[in-house]
Amino acid sequence: MGAEVDLEAFRAEVCDFLDTAPTPQIREAGRKTTSVFAPFEAALAWQKILDDKGWAAPNWPVEYGGTGWSLQQRFIFNQEHDRRGLPPLLPNGLKMIGPLLIDMGTDAQKAKFLPRIRSGEDYWTQGYSEPNSGSDLASLSTFAARDGDDYVINGQKIWTTLAFKSNRMFLLVRTRKEGKKQAGITFLLLERTDYPGMDIRPIKGLDGRPEMCEVFFKDVRVPVSGRVGAEHDGWSVAKALLKYERGGTTASPGMQAKLELIRAAARAAPSPFGGALADDESFQRDVAELEAEIAACAAYERVLISKHPLSTDPAAPSIAKILSSELTQKVCLMATKVAGISGLAMQTEALTVGSNTAPLTTDFDLTAMPSYLLARATTIYAGSNEIQRDLVARTMITQR
Amino acid sequence: MDFAFTSEQEMLRSGIDRLLAKTYDFDARQASVASPEGRNLPVWTQLTEMGVLQLAFSEGDGGLGGAPSDMVALGEIFGKYLMAEPYLDYMLLGAQAYRLGGVAHSPIWHDVLSGTTRIALAHEEAYGVGDVSVMATTFDGHTLSGEKRLVLGGDAADRFVVSARQGNRQMLLNVAARAPGVSMTPYQTIDGRQASNVQFNRVTVAETDILAEDCAAQLEEVLNLARLYLAAEAVGAVKVLVEASAEYAATRKQFGKPIGSFQAVAHRLADMKIAAVKLEAQLLATTALADRQQATPRDIALLKAQAGRLGQQVGESAIQVHGGIGMTDELSIGHYFKRLVAIDAMLGNSNYQLRRVGQLT
Repeated sequence: MGAEVDLEAFRAEVCDFLDTAPTPQIREAGRKTTSVFAPFEAALAWQKILDDKGWAAPNWPVEYGGTGWSLQQRFIFNQEHDRRGLPPLLPNGLKMIGPLLIDMGTDAQKAKFLPRIRSGEDYWTQGYSEPNSGSDLASLSTFAARDGDDYVINGQKIWTTLAFKSNRMFLLVRTRKEGKKQAGITFLLLERTDYPGMDIRPIKGLDGRPEMCEVFFKDVRVPVSGRVGAEHDGWSVAKALLKYERGGTTASPGMQAKLELIRAAARAAPSPFGGALADDESFQRDVAELEAEIAACAAYERVLISKHPLSTDPAAPSIAKILSSELTQKVCLMATKVAGISGLAMQTEALTVGSNTAPLTTDFDLTAMPSYLLARATTIYAGSNEIQRDLVARTMITQR
Repeated sequence: MDFAFTSEQEMLRSGIDRLLAKTYDFDARQASVASPEGRNLPVWTQLTEMGVLQLAFSEGDGGLGGAPSDMVALGEIFGKYLMAEPYLDYMLLGAQAYRLGGVAHSPIWHDVLSGTTRIALAHEEAYGVGDVSVMATTFDGHTLSGEKRLVLGGDAADRFVVSARQGNRQMLLNVAARAPGVSMTPYQTIDGRQASNVQFNRVTVAETDILAEDCAAQLEEVLNLARLYLAAEAVGAVKVLVEASAEYAATRKQFGKPIGSFQAVAHRLADMKIAAVKLEAQLLATTALADRQQATPRDIALLKAQAGRLGQQVGESAIQVHGGIGMTDELSIGHYFKRLVAIDAMLGNSNYQLRRVGQLT
């Protein structure tokens, strides 16, 4: 019981900070977030504020600037953060390359990169996928030839999210063409994204705005000191990184918050059958179904941070990814149904943080459709859900 | 129509198909959608010259036929090419609603049929199509007030036919786009159409501009023809997506073989095909009824619900099969998906249609 009291005090402290610290611009960015990547500048500004408080990297060890919070405390923080519709912190630095460097980086790499990852001064883009290597990532062919103290890179990466706004990049390259495809891959850190021979081209998404990019490498010379792990051993480095990417994320508080926004919008929306949409029984049933699914997802996310045997099930990471991605899509779909025809307008200008263009109707109607469209990617990226279901099935079949 | 188009309809379809293949491929369509007007004048002119604009009207009204199957024949081809020109806007919604006021003595009807006078229907409100009893736009016998959303083609319309409530009666009013008290916010829709939200602030309407009164049933007929047409557009778009997804799954290789050889992908493709044939069959069956004046509002509601639901599902599946590349603006796949999403939302989404079916029981 004593621990619970502490947690409640902790929650109060978190709430107090989250209610007072974000600037209006950061709150606006939260309202205008339409994917897992919040508006870039505002997300980094929020990260800076959190870092000044010492809260930017709860998942990092204390010696590197982590908070020392328990999993329960981190859950509470995420819950209160997402409940308020604040912009999620950009994941690549804090949740991916940062934890990886802490585990596997050299002392020089840690000293050079970690503080600036935590503060948000640097932002890292991820160079994994290639045009012909998506689900089959190990088949990647961007080649890095060793030349003295340098690697010389040639090839192409794609879906490098926010590369055009990033000043650093981590990537997988092929360093050996012979043998097993996984055994010839090397993990590299690039200190710059403007090396001679590097060409970054943004790709417009379904919402008509660029978020993804492709990156071309032509004889790009980078220092060997940027390597993480041994040469040809990048696949195991990438696998290690995957566990930070998948672990410790909580999708349910954000979905619960979105469901409340949906209910609020429905209270203000006239039903074509009279009254408010929120009073419509078929709408209430549909939202209740989502609430049940989100409750299950939230329960599962809590179980995963407990010592219950379910949390160590080898299928757990894939199950968590399938649950949160497909449920996110359903919640986003429901939001578009509430926005109705008001969600059909393209409003690229109004979506920009700080824009003078007001939404045609409401912030809810403004973001519903782009969120739905971009959420289609959640069952594709980070291992498509087809691959995830294969992985789940494999754990079941080989266990027998 | 015995589940097959007539030879005349087939001729028209192949003529338009050839024209659009030549002048309105995806790149040309994207270029015109991105242009300041958002429209492609040469294609519109050619369609006009082919008589397409008169197709939806009976010979008595100066048209070329007006059978529902004509609209379906056309709609499917337009769906195939993601047609963003204002055919639905001006000819199926605006002109058809205007026609309810009687056209025999209309000084502008000839210009409407030839496309030189553009009439948009201002009907949908906040969150979708409603019964006249919940319509927020009102007419007091002299002045019109309210806001209409998603007025298709509103940006370039010369006139609006505005649906309004007087007491509990459905009214249709003829309002000049530049009349005092009319203001609008134009925008492009996610599927490349041009639309506006239009505000009517105490707009004076002369008695001669009351096109129809107590006309809920007639207006519903106009909307139902447009719904049938939208279902045909959906079928055209769905067929493209099924074919493109199968093609992609057959050629895209991961793990050394085509992704279509993985059962998870293959079964998704099969489900897409099943959805497509269901929808096409229901469209053709409903069209056959409509040609015999036997399609009930219930039949149309069921069809529109299926077009919205199945169309959106096929669109989502097409993105999933294509993976990352399907998420890009550059590929046509996402644009077909968005067209299908918009078709569901327009003129009452699938939830609305299914609720209507419940009410019509």
